[in-house]
Amino acid sequence: MNKAITELVQGVDNLITLPDVFVRINRLVEDANSNMADIAKVAGQDPSFSMRLLRVANSTFYGFPSTIDTIPKAVSIIGTSQIRSLALATSVASSFEGLPNSLVSMGNFWRHSLYCAIAARILCKQAHKCDPDAVFTAALLHDIGELVIFNRMPQQAKEVLYLVLDSADELPVYLAERQIMGFDHAQVGGELARQWQLPPMLVECIECHHDIRSAQHFPRETALVHIANSLALMAETQTLDQKDVSPIDQLAWQIVGLDAGQVIPAVVGEAQEMIAEAEKLFIGK
Amino acid sequence: MADHLFEELQAPNLYFDRGHEIEAAKILPGEYYATARDMMLVTVLGSCVCACIRDRELGIGGMNHFMLPDGGMDQGDILGESARYGTYAMEILINQLLKMGAKRGNLEAKVFGGAAVLRGFMVANVGERNAQFVLKFLKTENIPVAAQDLRDIHPRKVYFFPKTGRVRVKKLRQVHNDTVINRESEYKARLRYAKVEGELELFD
Repeated sequence: MNKAITELVQGVDNLITLPDVFVRINRLVEDANSNMADIAKVAGQDPSFSMRLLRVANSTFYGFPSTIDTIPKAVSIIGTSQIRSLALATSVASSFEGLPNSLVSMGNFWRHSLYCAIAARILCKQAHKCDPDAVFTAALLHDIGELVIFNRMPQQAKEVLYLVLDSADELPVYLAERQIMGFDHAQVGGELARQWQLPPMLVECIECHHDIRSAQHFPRETALVHIANSLALMAETQTLDQKDVSPIDQLAWQIVGLDAGQVIPAVVGEAQEMIAEAEKLFIGK
Repeated sequence: MADHLFEELQAPNLYFDRGHEIEAAKILPGEYYATARDMMLVTVLGSCVCACIRDRELGIGGMNHFMLPDGGMDQGDILGESARYGTYAMEILINQLLKMGAKRGNLEAKVFGGAAVLRGFMVANVGERNAQFVLKFLKTENIPVAAQDLRDIHPRKVYFFPKTGRVRVKKLRQVHNDTVINRESEYKARLRYAKVEGELELFD
């Protein structure tokens, strides 16, 4: 691992803390001796998370036919591993408030991340064989490395942004970063996720979302996040033309077994419909 | 004809664009460029506007990139103080085209920008005024508007090929909003400063 990246991430270690409720649920999910009741108990001890959990559980995201009015019911219907994903997804935006920057507003940053998360979740349901909530969370976190770069290296980050903005042939951000800094936000985000001891699937999705051929253990999830990233850009800029957004590696479509022409318009449209509600649920605006 | 008759314009960054295999000029806020050569003019707009004006017979064309400074009470008034800067930005381009041989009667315009760009969850809307101004100006000057893509909420990247009149507009993703807004704010601050200092010569 690149020493510069490790140092960069260590520099923000005390500025962003993972929410306690996620850390505790994560431990329980990994612990073979714990059960649903243990997880419901931990979730219930955090009133703000309880409220967010019930709001998400009763939203159109899940579309359960009956009302979910208690935490134990939410845990049993949604699933323990999915509750862990939600504990991270519903709090990650506020965790990063400790890492402000003057280059990109948090609202615009998280809106893109959320578009990506929604698109990844829809794609995941169509592709099967993956956990939609885990992929949602991976996609929501895919660009967290950028927030570290914006905060720690504002001058170079500004250079990167101008380079991308003015490049006539649409230089992708990660390539501009490599050109100016020698590494990119995917690597930084992956390292941050590793230091946080997030589940290995999240680490790989974050680290390889621009370079899916390096994903060794979770190629399917990584490919979903990679595709979702470009579809998120389409949803944001209201285009269905793939030439308008960063290119999707053809291998990604092969891995997930979906046909680009068939899924793109529907997924982009659905993401556009869901974004407003998702912002309320996950970003708290 | 010698090239020098057709060049000599303000400050832009010239480069060779490998993607399009053509000589290109990057137009930043407050700049303009006119040419008779086969080139590509590129700019990125948030709430600023740009006018791509060309002689449709001769293929001489140019692009500007500007916004109206804050004008206090006279906002929206085409004869007002802040509109005078817009008029200046338009006239300096048109005069240059005429100097290069373009005929006034052959001129046509394509106009872009004036977005209500989102900064986080807030809307920064000074774009509307710029959009209104540029349309009003062209109407007053009897220059037909051949195409327009104004307002909306997205920053845009505009590629103009003056030789053929072709324009390509690309909407930019929202995380670039702040970069665009920051650059336009710096430009706006320069305009204000220039006005206070009386350095800006209008109707020269």
